[in-house]
Amino acid sequence: MATAAPQMPDDLSSIFLALADPTRRAVIARLGQGPASVSELASPFDMGLPSFMKHIRLLENSGMIRTRKSGRTRTCVIDGPGLSNAERWLAEQRKIWEAQADRLEAFVMLEQEGRNADSDR
Amino acid sequence: MQTVTAELDLEVSRIIKAPRDRVWNAWVDPERLAKWWIPHPLICRVVSLDVRPGGAFVTEMSENDGPFVPHLSACFLDVLPGERIIYTNALTGGWRPAENGFVTAIITLSDHPEGTHYRAQALHKSRADREKHEELGFHDGWGTVVAQLAECVETKT
Repeated sequence: MATAAPQMPDDLSSIFLALADPTRRAVIARLGQGPASVSELASPFDMGLPSFMKHIRLLENSGMIRTRKSGRTRTCVIDGPGLSNAERWLAEQRKIWEAQADRLEAFVMLEQEGRNADSDR
Repeated sequence: MQTVTAELDLEVSRIIKAPRDRVWNAWVDPERLAKWWIPHPLICRVVSLDVRPGGAFVTEMSENDGPFVPHLSACFLDVLPGERIIYTNALTGGWRPAENGFVTAIITLSDHPEGTHYRAQALHKSRADREKHEELGFHDGWGTVVAQLAECVETKT
Protein backbone atom coordinates (compact mmCIF):
# COMPACT_ATOMS: atom_id res chain seq x y z
CA MET A 1 0.00 0.00 0.00
CA ALA A 2 1.99 2.95 -1.22
CA THR A 3 -0.42 5.62 -0.10
CA ALA A 4 0.77 8.62 1.81
CA ALA A 5 0.04 6.97 5.13
CA PRO A 6 3.38 6.75 6.89
CA GLN A 7 3.25 3.37 8.54
CA MET A 8 6.12 1.22 9.62
CA PRO A 9 5.10 -2.41 9.47
CA ASP A 10 5.72 -4.42 12.62
CA ASP A 11 8.38 -6.59 11.06
CA LEU A 12 10.35 -3.45 10.22
CA SER A 13 9.96 -2.02 13.68
CA SER A 14 11.62 -5.15 14.94
CA ILE A 15 14.46 -4.72 12.46
CA PHE A 16 15.07 -1.18 13.60
CA LEU A 17 14.85 -2.37 17.19
CA ALA A 18 17.33 -5.11 16.39
CA LEU A 19 19.73 -2.55 14.98
CA ALA A 20 19.46 -0.30 17.99
CA ASP A 21 21.90 -2.35 20.06
CA PRO A 22 25.71 -2.33 19.56
CA THR A 23 26.11 -6.05 20.30
CA ARG A 24 23.46 -6.95 17.72
CA ARG A 25 24.95 -4.56 15.18
CA ALA A 26 28.32 -6.22 15.65
CA VAL A 27 26.75 -9.65 15.15
CA ILE A 28 25.07 -8.55 11.94
CA ALA A 29 28.28 -6.95 10.72
CA ARG A 30 30.22 -10.15 11.40
CA LEU A 31 27.58 -12.27 9.67
CA GLY A 32 27.82 -9.97 6.67
CA GLN A 33 31.14 -11.68 6.01
CA GLY A 34 29.70 -15.19 6.15
CA PRO A 35 28.03 -17.70 8.51
CA ALA A 36 29.39 -18.21 12.04
CA SER A 37 28.63 -20.31 15.08
CA VAL A 38 27.06 -18.77 18.17
CA SER A 39 30.18 -19.41 20.24
CA GLU A 40 32.34 -17.73 17.60
CA LEU A 41 29.98 -14.76 17.50
CA ALA A 42 29.92 -14.53 21.29
CA SER A 43 33.67 -14.64 21.79
CA PRO A 44 34.38 -10.89 21.37
CA PHE A 45 31.77 -10.02 23.99
CA ASP A 46 32.14 -9.99 27.71
CA MET A 47 28.76 -11.50 28.54
CA GLY A 48 27.34 -14.85 29.51
CA LEU A 49 25.98 -17.16 26.84
CA PRO A 50 22.36 -16.85 28.08
CA SER A 51 22.50 -13.05 27.65
CA PHE A 52 24.11 -13.42 24.27
CA MET A 53 21.48 -15.94 23.17
CA LYS A 54 18.81 -13.34 23.92
CA HIS A 55 20.41 -11.08 21.33
CA ILE A 56 20.58 -13.96 18.85
CA ARG A 57 16.91 -14.78 19.40
CA LEU A 58 15.89 -11.17 18.96
CA LEU A 59 17.82 -11.01 15.70
CA GLU A 60 16.24 -14.27 14.60
CA ASN A 61 12.74 -13.05 15.46
CA SER A 62 13.30 -9.84 13.52
CA GLY A 63 13.98 -11.97 10.43
CA MET A 64 17.50 -10.62 9.98
CA ILE A 65 19.29 -13.88 10.69
CA ARG A 66 18.50 -17.58 10.52
CA THR A 67 20.03 -20.18 12.80
CA ARG A 68 20.30 -23.94 12.43
CA LYS A 69 21.56 -26.48 14.88
CA SER A 70 23.73 -29.41 13.87
CA GLY A 71 24.91 -31.54 16.76
CA ARG A 72 26.00 -29.17 19.51
CA THR A 73 26.77 -26.26 17.25
CA ARG A 74 24.26 -23.56 16.33
CA THR A 75 25.24 -21.73 13.15
CA CYS A 76 23.90 -18.30 12.27
CA VAL A 77 23.53 -16.89 8.77
CA ILE A 78 22.38 -13.47 7.72
CA ASP A 79 19.00 -13.39 6.05
CA GLY A 80 18.99 -11.00 3.12
CA PRO A 81 15.25 -10.37 2.75
CA GLY A 82 14.96 -8.95 6.25
CA LEU A 83 17.55 -6.33 5.45
CA SER A 84 16.36 -5.62 1.95
CA ASN A 85 12.89 -5.11 3.40
CA ALA A 86 14.34 -2.28 5.44
CA GLU A 87 15.85 -0.82 2.31
CA ARG A 88 12.66 -1.24 0.35
CA TRP A 89 10.77 0.53 3.09
CA LEU A 90 13.23 3.42 2.92
CA ALA A 91 12.86 3.62 -0.85
CA GLU A 92 9.09 3.78 -0.38
CA GLN A 93 9.42 6.56 2.17
CA ARG A 94 11.58 8.47 -0.27
CA LYS A 95 8.92 8.18 -2.95
CA ILE A 96 6.31 9.50 -0.54
CA TRP A 97 8.43 12.52 0.41
CA GLU A 98 9.39 13.26 -3.19
CA ALA A 99 5.78 13.14 -4.30
CA GLN A 100 4.73 15.37 -1.43
CA ALA A 101 7.35 17.97 -2.32
CA ASP A 102 6.17 17.83 -5.94
CA ARG A 103 2.57 18.44 -4.88
CA LEU A 104 3.57 21.34 -2.64
CA GLU A 105 5.50 22.91 -5.50
CA ALA A 106 2.62 22.44 -7.92
CA PHE A 107 0.16 23.89 -5.42
CA VAL A 108 2.28 26.96 -4.73
CA MET A 109 2.86 27.57 -8.44
CA LEU A 110 -0.83 27.25 -9.20
CA GLU A 111 -1.76 29.63 -6.42
CA GLN A 112 0.82 32.10 -7.61
CA GLU A 113 -0.44 31.98 -11.21
CA GLY A 114 -3.95 32.61 -9.93
CA ARG A 115 -2.75 35.66 -8.09
CA ASN A 116 -0.79 36.98 -11.07
CA ALA A 117 -3.86 36.53 -13.25
CA ASP A 118 -5.91 38.50 -10.73
CA SER A 119 -3.46 41.38 -10.72
CA ASP A 120 -3.33 41.44 -14.53
CA ARG A 121 -6.99 42.32 -14.73
CA MET B 1 22.74 19.14 15.80
CA GLN B 2 21.34 15.99 14.25
CA THR B 3 23.26 13.33 12.41
CA VAL B 4 21.90 12.40 9.02
CA THR B 5 22.85 8.89 7.97
CA ALA B 6 22.57 8.17 4.29
CA GLU B 7 21.18 4.68 4.81
CA LEU B 8 18.47 5.44 7.31
CA ASP B 9 17.50 9.01 6.60
CA LEU B 10 16.46 10.80 3.50
CA GLU B 11 16.31 14.30 2.19
CA VAL B 12 14.31 15.81 -0.62
CA SER B 13 14.93 19.26 -1.92
CA ARG B 14 13.22 21.56 -4.40
CA ILE B 15 13.71 25.04 -5.76
CA ILE B 16 10.19 26.46 -5.77
CA LYS B 17 9.80 29.55 -7.91
CA ALA B 18 7.75 31.49 -5.42
CA PRO B 19 8.52 33.68 -2.43
CA ARG B 20 9.23 32.02 0.89
CA ASP B 21 6.10 33.31 2.66
CA ARG B 22 3.93 31.75 -0.04
CA VAL B 23 5.52 28.34 0.50
CA TRP B 24 5.24 28.80 4.25
CA ASN B 25 1.54 29.64 4.00
CA ALA B 26 0.92 26.54 1.92
CA TRP B 27 2.32 24.60 4.87
CA VAL B 28 0.73 26.27 7.88
CA ASP B 29 -2.75 27.10 6.57
CA PRO B 30 -5.02 24.04 7.02
CA GLU B 31 -7.08 24.77 3.91
CA ARG B 32 -3.97 25.03 1.77
CA LEU B 33 -2.17 22.08 3.33
CA ALA B 34 -5.19 19.84 2.69
CA LYS B 35 -4.86 20.53 -1.03
CA TRP B 36 -1.37 19.02 -1.44
CA TRP B 37 -0.58 16.95 1.66
CA ILE B 38 -2.07 13.69 0.36
CA PRO B 39 -2.04 12.44 -3.25
CA HIS B 40 -5.24 12.60 -5.29
CA PRO B 41 -7.75 11.02 -5.44
CA LEU B 42 -7.50 10.64 -1.67
CA ILE B 43 -9.14 13.47 0.20
CA CYS B 44 -7.31 15.05 3.11
CA ARG B 45 -8.94 16.46 6.23
CA VAL B 46 -6.75 18.53 8.52
CA VAL B 47 -7.94 17.79 12.05
CA SER B 48 -5.26 19.80 13.82
CA LEU B 49 -2.46 22.03 12.58
CA ASP B 50 -1.30 23.76 15.72
CA VAL B 51 2.01 25.01 14.40
CA ARG B 52 3.97 25.64 17.60
CA PRO B 53 6.18 23.45 19.76
CA GLY B 54 4.00 20.81 21.41
CA GLY B 55 1.12 21.52 19.04
CA ALA B 56 -0.78 18.65 17.48
CA PHE B 57 -0.48 17.83 13.78
CA VAL B 58 -3.28 15.46 12.83
CA THR B 59 -4.47 14.61 9.33
CA GLU B 60 -7.00 12.09 8.06
CA MET B 61 -7.73 10.70 4.64
CA SER B 62 -10.71 9.37 2.78
CA GLU B 63 -10.82 7.20 -0.30
CA ASN B 64 -13.74 7.23 -2.75
CA ASP B 65 -15.83 9.37 -0.38
CA GLY B 66 -15.45 6.65 2.24
CA PRO B 67 -15.03 7.35 5.95
CA PHE B 68 -12.05 9.40 7.07
CA VAL B 69 -9.27 7.23 8.51
CA PRO B 70 -6.10 8.30 10.38
CA HIS B 71 -3.25 9.43 8.18
CA LEU B 72 -0.78 11.18 10.46
CA SER B 73 -0.75 12.00 14.15
CA ALA B 74 2.31 13.98 15.14
CA CYS B 75 3.63 16.69 17.42
CA PHE B 76 5.46 19.84 16.37
CA LEU B 77 8.82 20.11 18.09
CA ASP B 78 10.22 23.31 16.71
CA VAL B 79 8.77 26.14 14.66
CA LEU B 80 10.68 29.10 13.28
CA PRO B 81 8.14 31.14 11.31
CA GLY B 82 8.99 31.31 7.64
CA GLU B 83 12.07 29.16 8.08
CA ARG B 84 11.69 25.82 9.80
CA ILE B 85 9.20 23.24 11.00
CA ILE B 86 10.17 20.10 12.90
CA TYR B 87 7.63 17.46 13.82
CA THR B 88 7.67 13.82 14.87
CA ASN B 89 5.14 11.01 14.97
CA ALA B 90 6.98 9.55 17.96
CA LEU B 91 4.82 11.99 19.95
CA THR B 92 1.25 13.17 19.65
CA GLY B 93 0.01 16.66 20.51
CA GLY B 94 1.17 17.99 23.88
CA TRP B 95 4.32 15.85 23.88
CA ARG B 96 2.49 12.60 24.66
CA PRO B 97 4.48 9.51 23.61
CA ALA B 98 2.89 7.78 20.64
CA GLU B 99 2.27 4.08 20.24
CA ASN B 100 4.65 3.54 17.36
CA GLY B 101 6.23 6.59 15.81
CA PHE B 102 9.32 6.28 13.70
CA VAL B 103 10.17 9.53 12.00
CA THR B 104 11.23 13.09 12.72
CA ALA B 105 10.68 15.47 9.83
CA ILE B 106 12.65 18.68 9.40
CA ILE B 107 11.24 21.14 6.89
CA THR B 108 13.54 24.02 6.00
CA LEU B 109 12.82 27.05 3.80
CA SER B 110 15.52 29.42 2.67
CA ASP B 111 15.76 32.20 0.11
CA HIS B 112 17.09 31.29 -3.30
CA PRO B 113 17.76 33.51 -6.36
CA GLU B 114 14.87 31.79 -8.14
CA GLY B 115 12.51 31.79 -5.17
CA THR B 116 12.60 29.35 -2.27
CA HIS B 117 14.87 26.44 -1.49
CA TYR B 118 12.58 23.83 0.11
CA ARG B 119 14.17 20.97 2.01
CA ALA B 120 12.48 18.09 3.82
CA GLN B 121 14.57 15.69 5.86
CA ALA B 122 13.20 12.51 7.39
CA LEU B 123 15.18 11.00 10.24
CA HIS B 124 14.37 7.41 11.01
CA LYS B 125 14.97 5.25 14.05
CA SER B 126 18.56 4.29 14.38
CA ARG B 127 21.37 4.63 16.81
CA ALA B 128 23.93 3.72 14.22
CA ASP B 129 26.06 6.81 13.86
CA ARG B 130 28.17 6.75 10.77
CA GLU B 131 31.61 8.04 10.19
CA LYS B 132 32.48 8.44 6.56
CA HIS B 133 31.34 5.85 4.12
CA GLU B 134 33.87 3.27 3.06
CA GLU B 135 33.45 0.48 0.61
CA LEU B 136 33.48 -2.81 2.45
CA GLY B 137 33.94 -6.08 0.69
CA PHE B 138 30.68 -7.70 1.67
CA HIS B 139 28.77 -10.27 -0.26
CA ASP B 140 26.74 -8.62 -2.94
CA GLY B 141 23.19 -7.92 -2.07
CA TRP B 142 23.39 -7.53 1.69
CA GLY B 143 22.95 -3.90 1.03
CA THR B 144 24.02 -0.73 2.63
CA VAL B 145 22.61 -1.49 6.05
CA VAL B 146 25.22 -4.11 6.76
CA ALA B 147 28.00 -1.95 5.41
CA GLN B 148 26.92 0.85 7.65
CA LEU B 149 26.72 -1.40 10.67
CA ALA B 150 30.14 -2.82 10.02
CA GLU B 151 31.58 0.65 9.73
CA CYS B 152 29.89 1.62 12.91
CA VAL B 153 31.41 -1.36 14.66
CA GLU B 154 34.84 -0.79 13.20
CA THR B 155 34.97 2.77 14.38
CA LYS B 156 34.20 1.63 17.90
CA THR B 157 37.00 -0.92 18.18
